[in-house]
Amino acid sequence: MTATATTAAPEPAATRARRLSLLNVAFELRAFIALAVLIVIFGLLSDSFLTVPNLITMTKHVAINGVIALGMLLVILKGGIDLSVGSIVGLSGVVAGELLQGLHVGGVIAYPPVWVVIVLCVAVGMAVGLINGVLVTRFNVAPFIATLGMLYVARGAAMLISNGATYPNLGGNPALGNTGFELLGSGRPLGLPTSIWIMILLAVAAVLLLAKSPFGRWLYATGGNERAADLSGVPIRRVKTIVYVISGACAAVAGLIIASELTSAAPQAGETYELNAIAAVVIGGAALSGGRGTVRGTLVGAFVIGFLADGLVILGVSTFWQILIKGAVIILAVMLDQGQQRFKRRGAAAAAVAASKKHD
Amino acid sequence: MTGPILRAGEVTKVYGGTHALKGVDFDVAPGRVTALFGENGAGKSTLMKILAGIERPTTGHVELDGRPVRLHSSRDAADQGISIIHQELSLCPNLSIQDNLFLAREVRTAYGSIDRKAQREATAAVLHRLEEDVDPDRLVGDLRLGQQQLVEIARALLQQARVLIMDEPTSALTAPEVDVLFRVIRELTAAGVAVVYISHHLDEALEIADDVVVLRDGRLVATARADEVDIRWIVEQMVGRDQDTLFPSREPVLGEEALAVRRLTVADPAVPDRLAVNGLSLSVRAGEIVGVYGLMGSGRTELLETLAGRLRPSSGEVLLDGAPLHEAGIRDRIERGVVLVPEDRQRDGLVQTMSVGQNLSLAALGTFVRGLFVSQERERAAVTRTIADVTVKTSGAQAAIGSLSGGNQQKVIIGKALLTGPRVLLLDEPSRGVDVGAKADIFELMAAQARRGLAVLFTTSDAEEALHIPDRLLVLARGILVGEFRRGELGRGGLTREELMRVSDGGAQDGSS
Amino acid sequence: MPPTRIVTLALSVLLGCTTLAACGSAEQPATSASASSGAAAAGGLIAIITPSHDNPFFKAEAEAAKAQAEKLGYQTSVASHDDDPNKQSELIDAAISRQAKAIILDNAGADASIGPVRKAAQGGIPVFLIDREINATGVAKAQIVSNNSQGAQLVAQSFVEAMKSKGNYVELVGKESDTNASVRSKGFADVISQYPDMKPVAKESANWDQQEAFTKMETIIQKSRDIQGVIAGNDTMALGAVAALKAAGLLKKVVVVGFDGSPDAIAAIKAGEMHATGLQPAALGATSAVDQADQFIKTGKTGKDEKQSIDCELVTADNADEFGVFARK
Repeated sequence: MTATATTAAPEPAATRARRLSLLNVAFELRAFIALAVLIVIFGLLSDSFLTVPNLITMTKHVAINGVIALGMLLVILKGGIDLSVGSIVGLSGVVAGELLQGLHVGGVIAYPPVWVVIVLCVAVGMAVGLINGVLVTRFNVAPFIATLGMLYVARGAAMLISNGATYPNLGGNPALGNTGFELLGSGRPLGLPTSIWIMILLAVAAVLLLAKSPFGRWLYATGGNERAADLSGVPIRRVKTIVYVISGACAAVAGLIIASELTSAAPQAGETYELNAIAAVVIGGAALSGGRGTVRGTLVGAFVIGFLADGLVILGVSTFWQILIKGAVIILAVMLDQGQQRFKRRGAAAAAVAASKKHD
Repeated sequence: MTGPILRAGEVTKVYGGTHALKGVDFDVAPGRVTALFGENGAGKSTLMKILAGIERPTTGHVELDGRPVRLHSSRDAADQGISIIHQELSLCPNLSIQDNLFLAREVRTAYGSIDRKAQREATAAVLHRLEEDVDPDRLVGDLRLGQQQLVEIARALLQQARVLIMDEPTSALTAPEVDVLFRVIRELTAAGVAVVYISHHLDEALEIADDVVVLRDGRLVATARADEVDIRWIVEQMVGRDQDTLFPSREPVLGEEALAVRRLTVADPAVPDRLAVNGLSLSVRAGEIVGVYGLMGSGRTELLETLAGRLRPSSGEVLLDGAPLHEAGIRDRIERGVVLVPEDRQRDGLVQTMSVGQNLSLAALGTFVRGLFVSQERERAAVTRTIADVTVKTSGAQAAIGSLSGGNQQKVIIGKALLTGPRVLLLDEPSRGVDVGAKADIFELMAAQARRGLAVLFTTSDAEEALHIPDRLLVLARGILVGEFRRGELGRGGLTREELMRVSDGGAQDGSS
Repeated sequence: MPPTRIVTLALSVLLGCTTLAACGSAEQPATSASASSGAAAAGGLIAIITPSHDNPFFKAEAEAAKAQAEKLGYQTSVASHDDDPNKQSELIDAAISRQAKAIILDNAGADASIGPVRKAAQGGIPVFLIDREINATGVAKAQIVSNNSQGAQLVAQSFVEAMKSKGNYVELVGKESDTNASVRSKGFADVISQYPDMKPVAKESANWDQQEAFTKMETIIQKSRDIQGVIAGNDTMALGAVAALKAAGLLKKVVVVGFDGSPDAIAAIKAGEMHATGLQPAALGATSAVDQADQFIKTGKTGKDEKQSIDCELVTADNADEFGVFARK
C-alpha cells in the first residue's frame, strides 16, 4: 500500500459503503414503500379510500390476482412462466357452470353437490398444469411455448364445452341439493369475504411449502441452478412438473371465485389475467430467471396492482390513464429491482474494500 | 528496452466479499513476453480482465502509454490496441469462422453490406499463418476444441493489437500447434507487440517468456527475468511453501472392492458419433484414493458423470459393492452412496441464489425431514458440523455463497457430498480454481475420507497432483486407459512429470505395469 | 418413482384422449351442416363473417343468417374474425377465391373494413353489412344496422321514468375505442341531460366485460352507497353490476338497465333484478340481409336504400315473455 492510497481512499470508501447499505435497505422494502405511497396518495385524494369497507373490497379484488400470482410465483421461482392461467380461470368457471347445470349421464341428469364441483374444477386446473409440466419436462418444450399453447387449448376447450355461451344462475336449486356455490364469492366468514380467506390460506400454505418443506428448497435450488440441483439428487423433473400443477390449481380456484361472485360463468373470463399475475410476482422482486422471490413480495405486488386500479377508479381517472399508469408502475418496479441488485454488489464491494483498508 | 505500454497501478478488485486482487502493480513492456504465474485463484485472470477492459478495478487505475485511461468495455480496450484471448472460449458456435473473426468489426463494401470476399481472404490468410488451413465458412461449432482455440487466437491477431493478452491459449492445443503459436508470438514481439502469457504448463510458459511475474492470493509476490529463474523457483513463489506440506504422505488401509467399472463405453454428449469413454474398466477399493490423470477432452468428466448417473453409458457395467447400478438415476445413486463433486463449480456445483448452509444441506435434505417439513434444528446442526469438518471460512451458514473464495466454495460442495454419507466419493478436478491453502485442505479431506473407509476416485490435469496424491494413478487419453501406476511407482524417483505427459499424449502403447 | 411415472403417463394420456374427444364431438355439427348445405347446393355460396361467437349476440346473428340462407337454397360458410381486421381481410380473400355469391359481414372496424369490403366488391362479390356500419357509402350493397342511438334513448327514457326523474346514477361504458360504446353513451346522455335532478356520480369503462363491471361497481359502491341507478352500455356489464349490487345488498333500491337484449338479461328482468334492456333484433337484421342478398343475386338489385336501420325494442318486465334469442318469439 502506498502512502497516497491510504490517505485518500479509506474515508470515502467507508462512507460510500454506509450510504450504499442504507440505499439497499430502502430498495429491499421498495414494494412496501410503493404500496404505502399509493395508500397515502389515494387516502389524501379521496375520503372513501381509507375506509374499512373499501379496504376489504379492494383486498377482495386483490385476492383473485393474488391467488393466481401465488401459483405463478412457484413457476417463476423454477425459472419458468405460466401463460395458461388466464385460460384456466375461464375453463374452471365453465366446468363449474356445466356441472351445476347438471350432468347428463346415460339419460339421467346428475347434479353433483357443490364440494364435488369445486374438487373437480380444481382437478381440471391441475390437469392443465400437469400437461404444461409434462410438455416442459418430458418433451423439452420451452415453458413460454408450452403454456402459450395451453393458453389457447384451455380457452378453446372452455368455448367448446360452453358452446360460447355464459352459464347463468349458478346459485343452484335446494331441491337438487347443489346450493351454496355463491358462498365462495359472496360469503363472509368472520366478517371477511371468502376469497380473502382463500388467499390468506393459500399464502400461508405457500410460505410453509417454500420455507419449511424440502420441496421448497428443491424449488429454489432448481431455479437457482438446475444442473447443480440435478447433481445434488434433487428430482428436478418432479419439482418442475409439480409447480405447473399447483399453478393450474390456483388459477382454477380463482376461476371458481369469479364464477361464484357473478353467479355466472363466461368462457372468456380471465383473459390477460396471466399478465397481471406475472406483474405481481415481478413487482414483488422475483427474478424471471428463477431462484429468487418470496410469497410476501408477491402479495405486496398483487396489492400494488389491485389498489392502484381501484384507487384510480375511485378518483375517476380515465381508463386510458389507468392502463398507462399501471404499465409505468410495472416498469418502475423492475427498474428498481435491477438497481437493487447493482447496489447490493457495489455495496458489498465497497464494504470489503473499507474493511481491508482498516486492517492494513 | 523502452518504458511500459500498459500499466496497472495499485489495482484492487472485490467480488462479493472476496478480494481477487489486493493492490497489484503490473507493467507490460513492448516487444517482450511477460509470463504471469500463479495458482488457480491467485488473481491472474482477474488482472487480465481489468487490463482488457472486461472488468473495472474496485480501486486503482490503468495507464496506457503513461496516461491514465478508463476502459469501459473490451471493445473500448480493443480500440486502444489491447486484445485478449480468453481462457473460456468466447466464440459463437452457430456462426462461421469468418463471422466470428469479424464480429462487430465487419468489413463493409461501398454499399454498406458485409464484404464477405475481403473477410474470407483475411480469414484464410490469418488461418494460414497459424498453419490451420480450414475453410473460413465452416461453423465454429463443427471445429474441434483445439481449432476453436486457434480461431480465438486468430481473432486477436486480426485486430493487430499492441498489447496481446493470452489467458491459457494452449489448454486444448496439440504440441505441434503450440510450436506454431510460439513462432507467431516471436514474430509479434519482433514487431514490437507486448504479449502477456498465462499458462498452467509452467515449462511451456517459461520457454516463451522474457519476463516472469508471480501472483499469489491476489498479491504480486515476485518478478524476474526469465533466463535467471527455473521452474522450481516459480513453483516456490506460487505456492509460498514447500511441496511436501501440500501433498501429505499416507499409508492406505485397503478394504473390499467398492466400485467396479467393466468395459464402460459412453458416447460424447456433445458429439454423438464420438466416444468420450471407450471400453474402460477400473476398480476402486474402500479406503483407496484412485487418481485419473487426463487432459481436457480425455473423457475424465464424462467418466465421472456416468458413474454419478448424469450420463447414460452405451455399454458396459458399473457395480457398487458387487451390485449393478445400471438403471439408477442421480438421486438413487446418491441414496446408495455414490456422489459426485463436479468439475465446474459455478455451472454444476453451486446454487448461487442460496446461502452457504442451504447449499451444504441440499443433497441430504431428505435426512432432516420430520413429518412434512425440514427440521431446522437438525439441518442447522448438520450444517454447522460440516462447516467445521471441511474447514469452510465463512461468516456463517447464512452468508451468500458468492461471498466465499473459490477454495471455500469448493469445500462447501465437498461438504454437501459428504453430508449424504457416501460410500464412493467422486471428485472431478477438485483443486481447480482453488488457492494453495485450500488445495492442501482438500487433499487432506480426501485422505481423511479414505481413512474412514470411503472409496475416493478423483481426476486431475495437474501432473504434480497426479504424481503425489493417489494410491493408484490411471492415465486417460481419448477415452482409453493408457497407463496404470501403483503408489510405489509414482513421484520421487518413480514416474516423472515428463513420462506422465508422454503417456497421456497417447504415446505409450503399453502403459500398465 | 416408477409408480408416479405411470400415474403421470396415464393422466396425460387420459387428458389427451378427452381433449381429442371434445374436439371430435364439437366438429360433428359443423361437418353435418356443410354436408346438408352441399346437398342443396343449387344457389352457390354465401359467406357469413361475424365477430367471435363467444358473444351470444353474434352467434344468434350468424345462426339466423345461416338458417335463412340455407332455407333459400344456398351453401354457407360461417366464420369469425374475432374483431381482428387482418383476420377479416383474410376471410374475405378466402370468400373471393371460393367465388362466393355474397358476403354477409358484421365488420371488424368502421375504417379498417372499408378496404376489404371494396376488395370484395371489385371482385364482383356483393357485401351486405349487418350490425355495424363502415365509414363509407357506395361500397357495400347494404348496411343494415340496429339503431343504437334510438335504442339507447329508449332505454334511457325507461331508466329515467323508473328513477322518477331524480337521483344518483352510475354509467358503465363499453370498450372506449368501440363506436357503439360512444353512440350508446351519447344516446343515454341525450335523454338524461334533460332531467337536472339526475346526477351522474361515476362514469367508468368496463370493456363490455362482466367481471370488470363487477369489480368497478364494487369499488364505486365503496366510494358512495348513495346510488339509485346503473345504466350500462351492454347487458354483460349490467349483469356484472347486478352481481355487485346484490352482494352489497343494494339491488332492491337500484334501477339497472342494459343494452342488447341478451337472453341472460331478459331472464334477469323476469327475475326482477334488472329493469330494462334495449333489444337489438340481431336475427331480424341478419335475415333481412340474406333476403336482400338473394334478391340482388337474382335481380341485380336489392330494392332498398343502402343505409337501413332497424329499430331496437325496449324489453321490460311487462313484455319480457314475448322475446327469445335476440328476436321476438
